Parts: sequence; C-alpha cells; structure tokens
Amino acid sequence: MANQKLDLLQGTLDVMVLQTLHAIGPLHGYGIARRIEQISGNQVLLNQGTIYASLVRLQQRGWIAAEWGASDNNRKAKFYSITRNGRKQLAADAAHWQRLADVMGRMLAMSPGGQR
Amino acid sequence: MTTLVARVAAFFRKRELDRDLDRELAMHLELATEDNIRRGLSPEEARREALICFGGVEVAKEIHRDARGLPWLDSFLQDLRYALRTLRRDSGFTAVALLILALGIGANTAVFSLGNVFLFRPLPVKDGDRLTVVAVESKANPEPGQICYADFLEYRAHSSAVFTGMTGYVMSIVGLGYRGHADRLLMSYVPSNFFTMLGIRPAFGRLIESGEGDAPRTGTVLVLGHSYWERRFGADPGVIGRTVSLDGRAVTIVGVVPKEFLGPYNVVELDAYAPIGMLGFGATAGFFTSREDREVRVLATLRPGVSIARAQAALNVIGERLAEEYPHADQGQRVRVFSEPSARPEPAAADSKPLVVAVFLLMVGLVLLVACFNVANLLLARAAAREKEMAIRAAIGAGRKRLLRQLLTESMLLAVAGGVGGAVVGNSVGYVLNGLRPLGDFPLRLAFTFDWRVFTYVAGVALAAGILAGLAPALRVSRTDLNLALREGGRGLIGESGRHWLRNGLVVAQVAGSLILLVAAGLFIRSLSRAQSIDLGFDPHNVLNVSLDPSLQGYTEARAEAFCRELLRRTQTLPGVRSASFAFSIPLGIYNNGAPGVYAEARVPSPSERVPGAGFNAVSPDYFTTLRMRILEGRAFRDGDTATSEPVAVVDQTMAARLWPHRDAVGQRFSYQAASGPFVRVVGVVRDAKITSLLDAPGMYFYVPQTQNYQSIHVLQVRTVGPPEALAPAVEGLVRELDPNLPVYEVMSMEKALEGANGFFLFKVGASFAGALGGLGLLLAVVGVYGVVSYSAGRRRHEIGIRMALGAQRVSIFRLVIGQAVVLLGLGIALGVTAALGVSRLLVSLLVGVSASDPLTFAGVSGILLAVALVACYIPARRAARVEPMAALREQ
Repeated sequence: MANQKLDLLQGTLDVMVLQTLHAIGPLHGYGIARRIEQISGNQVLLNQGTIYASLVRLQQRGWIAAEWGASDNNRKAKFYSITRNGRKQLAADAAHWQRLADVMGRMLAMSPGGQR
Repeated sequence: MTTLVARVAAFFRKRELDRDLDRELAMHLELATEDNIRRGLSPEEARREALICFGGVEVAKEIHRDARGLPWLDSFLQDLRYALRTLRRDSGFTAVALLILALGIGANTAVFSLGNVFLFRPLPVKDGDRLTVVAVESKANPEPGQICYADFLEYRAHSSAVFTGMTGYVMSIVGLGYRGHADRLLMSYVPSNFFTMLGIRPAFGRLIESGEGDAPRTGTVLVLGHSYWERRFGADPGVIGRTVSLDGRAVTIVGVVPKEFLGPYNVVELDAYAPIGMLGFGATAGFFTSREDREVRVLATLRPGVSIARAQAALNVIGERLAEEYPHADQGQRVRVFSEPSARPEPAAADSKPLVVAVFLLMVGLVLLVACFNVANLLLARAAAREKEMAIRAAIGAGRKRLLRQLLTESMLLAVAGGVGGAVVGNSVGYVLNGLRPLGDFPLRLAFTFDWRVFTYVAGVALAAGILAGLAPALRVSRTDLNLALREGGRGLIGESGRHWLRNGLVVAQVAGSLILLVAAGLFIRSLSRAQSIDLGFDPHNVLNVSLDPSLQGYTEARAEAFCRELLRRTQTLPGVRSASFAFSIPLGIYNNGAPGVYAEARVPSPSERVPGAGFNAVSPDYFTTLRMRILEGRAFRDGDTATSEPVAVVDQTMAARLWPHRDAVGQRFSYQAASGPFVRVVGVVRDAKITSLLDAPGMYFYVPQTQNYQSIHVLQVRTVGPPEALAPAVEGLVRELDPNLPVYEVMSMEKALEGANGFFLFKVGASFAGALGGLGLLLAVVGVYGVVSYSAGRRRHEIGIRMALGAQRVSIFRLVIGQAVVLLGLGIALGVTAALGVSRLLVSLLVGVSASDPLTFAGVSGILLAVALVACYIPARRAARVEPMAALREQ
C-alpha cells in the first residue's frame, strides 16, 4: 500500500505549501505537513522533514513570512503565513498547474480509435 | 537576487539558524507524537510513528541547510580547512612542494616582469598607449636609430595628420657644478614641447615652457629629475631659482619632475632636462644644421584611430622628399615607426627582442612544467600512502567528484601559496637587476612594478600549476578501487608495478625537460666563454681605468692639459705601474667619438659615392703600449706630436685597406671633417681591435693625439704588475693631491669595464640567467628521480625481502634499484636530447661561436645530469640492499 503513494513532482511541494497557507491561514510546519497529507487523502509520499527545506526556500523568496508564536496548548512554535507576493505567485502557479492538469486530462482521455 | 542576498546572510548566521531549526523540528516531533497518542498509540509507538513520518531528521536538516545557505561554499571551506590541516601535518612534504612551486613560479614572474618592462608596460605619460618611437636606418648606421635635428623638424612639421604631437630628446653626460663640487649626470636636451606633449606636471616649480629655448644658444634653465633632486639637493624645494653650472655654463634651476617620471629612456633615470637650444653653445654648435649629426631620439603620439602602418606611410613620403633634397646625407635613409614599448631600450632591439623574451619565457615555462611534474609526483607518492584514507571516505559516502574536489583544493592551496612565494622571488630578481650597472656609473632603473599584467600572469601561472600538479594524482586517487585498497593495506605487490607508469612517465618527462634547460644553459655559458676568448685586439688584463673630467671643475683647456700631464707623470712613477696613458674613451665602452665621413686626400668622391664614416679616439703617446695593441707599420704617437706640430693619426688595418687599397697607408693624409681638409698625416697602422662592437668585424677606426684634439673627458688607463684594483686608492690619491675637488668616476679594472652594455653584459646576464634556470631544472629532476626511486624501493621492501630470503645477493638488489633509475634517466635523456635539438634552433641568433647542436654541450650536460642523478639514487639503492629479509617479511 505504502509504495502505491505518489512521488511528488518537482516544484509541487512549494505550491501545496503556499495553497495551504492561503486557504487556512498561519500554521506551523507540522500543521502544514498534516494538512497536505489530509487533503491529498494520504495519497502523496511526503517525508514531513522535507517541508522545512521548502519553507526556507519560500521564505527567502519573500513568498511566506515566519514568526514565533504560541501553539494550541501555549507552547512556542514557528508560524508561517503567506505574504502578498506569495499570493501573486500562488495565483500564477495555480493557473499553470490547472492548465497542465487540463492538458494531461485531455491527452489521457484520448481513446484508441483516435476519436473522442 | 533577493534569494542570493538571503542565502549569503544565512551563510553567516549559520549557528543561530541551526538552533532555530533544531527547536522547530523538536516541536514538530512533539506535536506529531501527541497527535499519535491521541489516536491511541502508546507513547513509544507514537514517537516512533512520528519519526517514521518525518523521515531522517539529519537528512531533513541537511536539505534545509542546502536550500538555505551556500552549500558549495560550505564544502569548499570544509575542503580548505581539511587541506590546511593535512598540509600542516605533512610539513616536510609541504615545505618541499612550496619551495619547488615558489622557484618555478618565481622564475616565471621574473621573466614576465622583465618582458613587461621591455615589451608591454606603457610609459606613465599622457596617451602612453599611443606613444611611438620614430627612428631612421641610414647608410652609415643600418640599425634604426636617432635622427638629425633638421630632419626631425621636417618630420614634425609635416606629420600632424597622423600624430597629435612629436617631440624628442638628446641624451648627454654633463658635469653639474654647485657649491665647489661637481658631479656627472645623465641628462637630456629637449625641445620645448617635450613636457606638454607627454603631459608631465611639475612636482615643484615649473617645467620647460612652450617656445622656451628652442632657438640655438638660448634657454639657460634646468629641470631636475626627481631622484637626482633628492640625492644631490636633499629634496629641498628651495633649489628653485638657484644657479648651477652645467659644463661650466650658468643655468637656473626652474623645477623638478614628478617622482613617477623617470624620463623617456626606459632603462635609466634621467637626472635633468635642459632646453635643446643650449646645444648651440660650444662644441655642439653644429647640431642644429648638420644633417649627419644624428642625435635626436624622436617620440610621437598617434592620433586616435591612426595605425602605426598609416603613420609609417605618412613619414615615408616625407623621408623620400628629404632623400631627394639632401641626397648626400639622407639618401638610402629609411624612416621607421615603432610602438614605444617595442623600441626599448633602443629601437635597434625591436626586431630581435620578442625572440629573446620568447626564448626565456619558453625556458621558464619548462622550469614550471618540470616543477609541476615534481609536485605531481610528490602528490602521487602521498596519495598512494593515503589510498586507505580515500577508500574509507569513499566507503562512507563521499562521491568521486567530492574526493576530486578535495584533492584539487589541496594542490590549489599549494599553488596559491607557491604563487605568493613566487611573486616575492620574482620581484627580488628585479631588485638584483636594478643593481647592475651596464652603463658605467649610472644604475639600471627598470620600472619593475607589480602591476595588473604581472598579477594576472602570476595568478594564471599559479592556477595552471595547481591544476597541472594536482589533476593527475587526484584523478588517480579518486578512481581507487575500494576493495583492493582496503584489503591490500598499502603493501606493494610485484604485479602492481605496472600501475606506476604515471609516476615513471612523469619522471621521464622531468628529466627530459631539465635536459632541455641544461642544454640551453650550456649553450649560453659556452657562448659567453667563446665571447670572452675572442681576440679583442687589445689586452684587458691588469689595466685600471679611472675617469675624470677637468671641465667639471671649470678648467680651461690649458690648465686641464697641464693637470693631466702632471697626473700622468706621477702615475707612471707609482710602484707597480708598467705604463699609463690617457684616452677619451675605452674600447667597448658606452660612448665613442665618431666622424660621419673620412676623406682620403686628393681623391674627390663622386656625388653618388657614399663617404665612409669612422670611429676615433684621442689618446696620449703610451696608449698602444698600455693596451698592448700592436703597431704593424710606422710608429705610435710620441711627445713630439704637439698642438703646433703636424697633425697626425694612427689608423687601423681596416681603414688603411679601405682608404688606400693598393698603397702603403703610412705617409698618406686624410681628413675626418670634409673633403677639402683639414688633413692629418698617417704615421702608423695598428692591428684591428674590437672597439665599438664585440661581435661585428672591426670597422674603420683611427687614433689622434690628445694634444691635437682636446676633449675634456679623460680616462686614465694604468697597466699594472699586480691586480689593477689594488692600485686604485693610490691613483685616486694622486688626483686628490692635485685637486681635492675634482671627482673621479668609473674607477674599475678594464676587465670589469668590459661587462658593460657594449661588452659582455648581455652574454653574462643571459648565461647567468640560463645557468640559474638550468641549475633549477637539474635540481628538480634529481629530486624527482630520487623521490620515485626511493619510493618504489620502499614499496618493494616486502618483495626484496622475499628475493633475499630466496638467496638474492645484496649486489643484485642494489643493481635492481639502480637499474630502474638508469632506465628512467636513459629514457628521459634520450627524449630530452631529441627535443633539445629541435628547440635549440631558436637560440641560433643569440649564440656566438657555438653551434646550436654543439655535441660537446649536449654530451656534457647529459653526463652531468646522469652522474648527479645516479649519485642521488645511490642512497635508496644502498638502503634497499641493506634490507634485513626477516624484518622486511615480518612487517605488514
């Protein structure tokens, strides 16, 4: 079962992180990882640790911001939130992935006879 | 861009960010564990599950760091630290490798710096990169040289289409008297546009101004050279406005040139500058009108965008017109334009200099190559010892690229350190050269500066050396077979020797390279000894020269003659003196008298005929005795030849044969001024001697008595019984007795004087330079052969132990080791001789009296190389022969 999970395509993790922060608001790293796993219906193979490389990359590009804050039971955790530039980037990336998904969908819908 | 800034920032905040990350990851795992407990897992299982979902914590940290900072810089710094540590640990290896590289790179730096001085670096003047030298080749002097003043004015007046300006200078040695003391300076007379065209601004006072002193007999002002001003006047700005005497004429100091302007003549610094009009006074008055008095060194600045070829074409037109107008002087004259750096120090050198520089760059390149091979071999030997270390590194996951990078970092570090050392070595060679005095008392002032060209060159050489020396060993090590290396435990196996072809090949290449260097050195040294054994036509041994110039003290001609007569009389009575005489100039010295034309009496030259010129010297009666020059016919001068008796001359064989081909020269008359006279009578013929040039066949030359041709510069020459220098204090004492204020200069033996620019200077410099490079090559080759032989003998201890246990004799073991050395040396020498035969052809034009394939040189240097290397290999061979079989077999 475990080896049935999808490998993440290059660059998709960054988009997933941005989208998660955009949809849900500020989250800590573990929260983001869990959300991605839940939303994907546990379909993607995610080493939760890899999310931190993605987070630092997005941060350095200025697409997300980080701040130490208090978690549920009042412990200190680092919270990430999407920035205005991040939203712009997300919009662009989302459009790109949408188009790619559409094209792939249409390609794969082709039947052997060449007819729709 | 912002990412890069963030990454660089992260690189420097590593520790803080790591702490942050640790906290964040700990919190992640804590939250995950809690979630899992909430889902009903036991605390241990919950923690385990959290760790599994997370993946490797260290891996996560690593990819986080890679994404965050500058991973390549991190690993580079790591390699650098590691390299520093290993190099420090192996301090013996490091010292040897550094020394080798520093010498190799140093030799390159020195030669390139010299090339920079003579070929590339523009003068520090306005538009220095567009500055050219204009020179003419005339019938009298086939090498491009100075121009007569009248022609200079013509060229200047009609070339403004191609040049923004044209100026010139006339070099001269004069006496400057100030407060009862006189000294000799090397100075220039310049037209008034000299400083403005070159864009020189005064350090103090003013320079020669536009229009000042261009007319004959005007412009009695003087501008001082910077270091002369410091030396003589203690850098006192108050000298401006003071009056000094220049060859007895009062002039006013008006300014000082800036420190960085050494003058337009690249190899010496000029002490002063005066307006050209001053040449109108006294003996040089003919300068402004004579077309045969070629003394102006011409500089011109190209207009932007004008090529040298175009300027050349424009001047050709003027030159052709001049030849038509003044056929007598200018016919057959060819004007040439050189870029200023290529015409250093004299335009005559422009054609041969690139070859000289190329030959020496080739030689030092070879030294560097041999040095690199040597360091490569040292690295290989070390790498073999480190095979196990590398295998372990590879086993724990270092990629091949990573290992390669690490090893190259080591060799690059060596090369950079060697480059720094080399720059120091190279620059010190410059200082040594600047101490040489090929121009009499005037020191060479080569403008050695560590400018960007030299820096780029040294950096490039060091980089190449690092790669060259490090790549092969690094490639070899990084290819190490893991299993083999770990199992073998560093013990050499017999069948393994085939793997050492690389090291052996490097040694063969080293031997070959150093043989080429030795051949070049041998040829230059043989060339020098041939030059030194040339029959000069006079005997330079046991002769002391002492120069003096009574005009420096303002003596009149009569007083100077009385002074010299008395000095000569007293010198001749000194104990240890065989004979003494005066002359105006010394053979193969830096200055000479020349007569543009000599005319045999009663023979009117046809208009198309070229009148031959001749050099001459004014001497006292005992001159020929003192220099041991044989009088072949007639007589030498005697005391009876005085100012009032008939003017006489002694001519050399060449002149006698040329002017009176089928007649006895003695008794004939000739003039060295004009076809119409005045005439002098030939009283003797002297054997030809090398007076003006060491290599050329002796030209026409004659001698006149000083009593009939007064010149204030005198060289007292003393033939001594013992070493000539020992007599110098006594002779100087005599001068002081007669006049305590009269300076003497260039006090040296005639043999020493022969080491000047027109004597053996270039041979000596060439031979010592090539000799040093050859010695360096020999040293490197011997170190290389010794290293590889003793290393492989060491690796074969086990094998040798077995052989001896099986009954091999010590002698045969000795032979085994030496045999390896002989094979390597033999191959190297054979290869080297073949290559040297090809390369040495380049040297042909730089050698005298030695063929470029001189068998004696080739055999000699091969023998030396073989002998020295075999002596070095005796040590490891004896060590191998002394191996105790049991001990060798027992060690692992």
